[in-house]
Amino acid sequence: MIILNKIISFYYREYKLNLSGFQDILTNIIFFFVSIFIFIFSIGPDKETISSIGIGIVWTLLLLSSTLSLRKFYQDDFENGNLLIMHLNGLSFGFIAILKTFSHFIFVQIPFLLSIPIACILLNIANDKLIYLFSSFVIGSFILSCLGSISSSMNLMNQRNFLLGSVIVMIFSVPIIIFSVGVVNLEENFNSLISILFGILLIVFAINPWASGLCLKLALENN
Amino acid sequence: MKFLVNPSKFNKFADNVFLPVLILSIILFSIGLIFSFYLSPDDYQQGSTVRIMYVHVPSAWLALLTYAIMTVYSIVGLAFRIPFGFIINTAVAPIGAVFTLICIVSGSLWGKPMWGTWWVWDARLTSVAILFIIYLVIIFMNLSFENRIVREKVVAIFVLVGSINLPIVKFSVDWWNTLHQPATISKLSKPSIDPSMMIPLIVMTFAFIMVGLAIAILRIKSEIISRKSNLN
Amino acid sequence: MILVKDLSIERSNKKIFKDVNLSLGSGKIVLLKGKNGSGKTTLLKALLNLIEPSSGTIYWKGKLLKKNLYNFFNHVTYIADRTSSLSKLSVQTNIKIWKKIFLSNISNSQVENILKTLKLDIYLNQKVNSLSFGETKKLELLRLILENKKIWILDEPLSNLDDESIDVIAQTFEDHRLKGGSIIFSSHQESEINVSEEVIL
Repeated sequence: MIILNKIISFYYREYKLNLSGFQDILTNIIFFFVSIFIFIFSIGPDKETISSIGIGIVWTLLLLSSTLSLRKFYQDDFENGNLLIMHLNGLSFGFIAILKTFSHFIFVQIPFLLSIPIACILLNIANDKLIYLFSSFVIGSFILSCLGSISSSMNLMNQRNFLLGSVIVMIFSVPIIIFSVGVVNLEENFNSLISILFGILLIVFAINPWASGLCLKLALENN
Repeated sequence: MKFLVNPSKFNKFADNVFLPVLILSIILFSIGLIFSFYLSPDDYQQGSTVRIMYVHVPSAWLALLTYAIMTVYSIVGLAFRIPFGFIINTAVAPIGAVFTLICIVSGSLWGKPMWGTWWVWDARLTSVAILFIIYLVIIFMNLSFENRIVREKVVAIFVLVGSINLPIVKFSVDWWNTLHQPATISKLSKPSIDPSMMIPLIVMTFAFIMVGLAIAILRIKSEIISRKSNLN
Repeated sequence: MILVKDLSIERSNKKIFKDVNLSLGSGKIVLLKGKNGSGKTTLLKALLNLIEPSSGTIYWKGKLLKKNLYNFFNHVTYIADRTSSLSKLSVQTNIKIWKKIFLSNISNSQVENILKTLKLDIYLNQKVNSLSFGETKKLELLRLILENKKIWILDEPLSNLDDESIDVIAQTFEDHRLKGGSIIFSSHQESEINVSEEVIL
């Protein structure tokens, strides 16, 4: 049961860290809402238009705001050597990647989940669509966490051009956006689309520990 | 076949092969262009714009082929620890990007008179555009990492992850109802294209392959030299 | 326990060091000496299997280190030359987190005693980023006690410390040695630590 204790202590540490940096997460959410305002100002306050493209706006902005915090995914732990300590403590790099992905999902994406209902009110999205949006967001945001883990571990040693990390996440999130928005807009196809989304999740979740673990190892070796 | 994985063997092979490839590419290109401009017939529906196909299709094939080669060499580099794989990766990425760009530009030149718009958001076009962006990201990654060992491996991992896009590009016309027409030439069935158009297409494809090969040889050789002298 | 045979490491075609031989048994303290850039940190990282050697092998308890890495990690504490304490959190929280991570069974009163001897007890509720360099270093070295493991691999543990703290650390090293532990550390400054072997890179 040592491994279970290690996992619990890992999340205890993440919890303490995120609690002290709570204003960062809050800033993310503020960014999300401010960009909703700007979107509405730019297309005009016409109710029909807003509610027809509202889902797309919510999803796009969720994606953009969750890529904002990517830099902190591994960078802090990498720079102060905590990644190495965790590895020496008996966790393999792939396993660290999985734990970190869950941590990102819990501490960065879940707050967005709570702010979606407010966004729906602002964007005039019907209440009965909320459940579809929620279910697509739970799966989609976990995929985004996995992609974020891959891209930010790739860019650990990239001091010059960190925006590349966000670009990588955005490239691979194209199918997620397509299917997630599809889930909400085409309700009769709900089951098949959510299955596709879940399939993508499984693929990305399988790739994640391999790719991130390899990149973390590379970065630590050459640091 | 050792020249495919060994830099010094490749250098020898390249020295022998480069001149014939260059000459062949010039000959094939002139024949292919003459064929496609003067000797092939107009399409009864599309008129003269069908000739864009002789550039569009080979460049699209080569864009995909280049990425496939990069994927294979990434596996070679990562799994078998053969550094030549990384050399190929770095050298070949810009070539693939240029082919993809040619494909996109020629396609939209054809799309304007035929579909009435430069660009539509259908699956084939979007996935090719993403392929182009992936190529660009690979090039930028090659430029922005300072540590070579990290760079080449990270790029290889990215190439492998990005190869998910390849089947999407290839089968997008079959999986979704797209505006883009499905493949007319395939191995399994009789091609639905007239021989008079088939010949220039094949000639042009080989011409494109030869040009790509010539540039690739030059780039790989310079990459080998810069690695030996530790320039990056 | 650790045996290094003919280890050479090169990075991007540049030789860092060649044919280093080293053995670290229980009750031994090994000091790595050398100029800047002579590969002290690289050697310590190679011991942790973080850097692939170009030739040579490392054995752990008679077996290849690579083959039973996690068994090795169970017995080793590594302290890098930078601090791993979380700068936004207080000293107390950091110690609490470490105790959880390393599943440490050191009692609180023991930790308090050590903090007192290191003169860190007054900072207990302050954030780490308000401490000085030397104080964060001392806090970092507290991990040695908290982890309570046999082998200590330390990268420049004495830098930024005053003489008084170095004495405390020398005493700690001596205690650890008498208990049968082993230490390998790098340093570029002279100290009064009683070492049993010096390796010059």
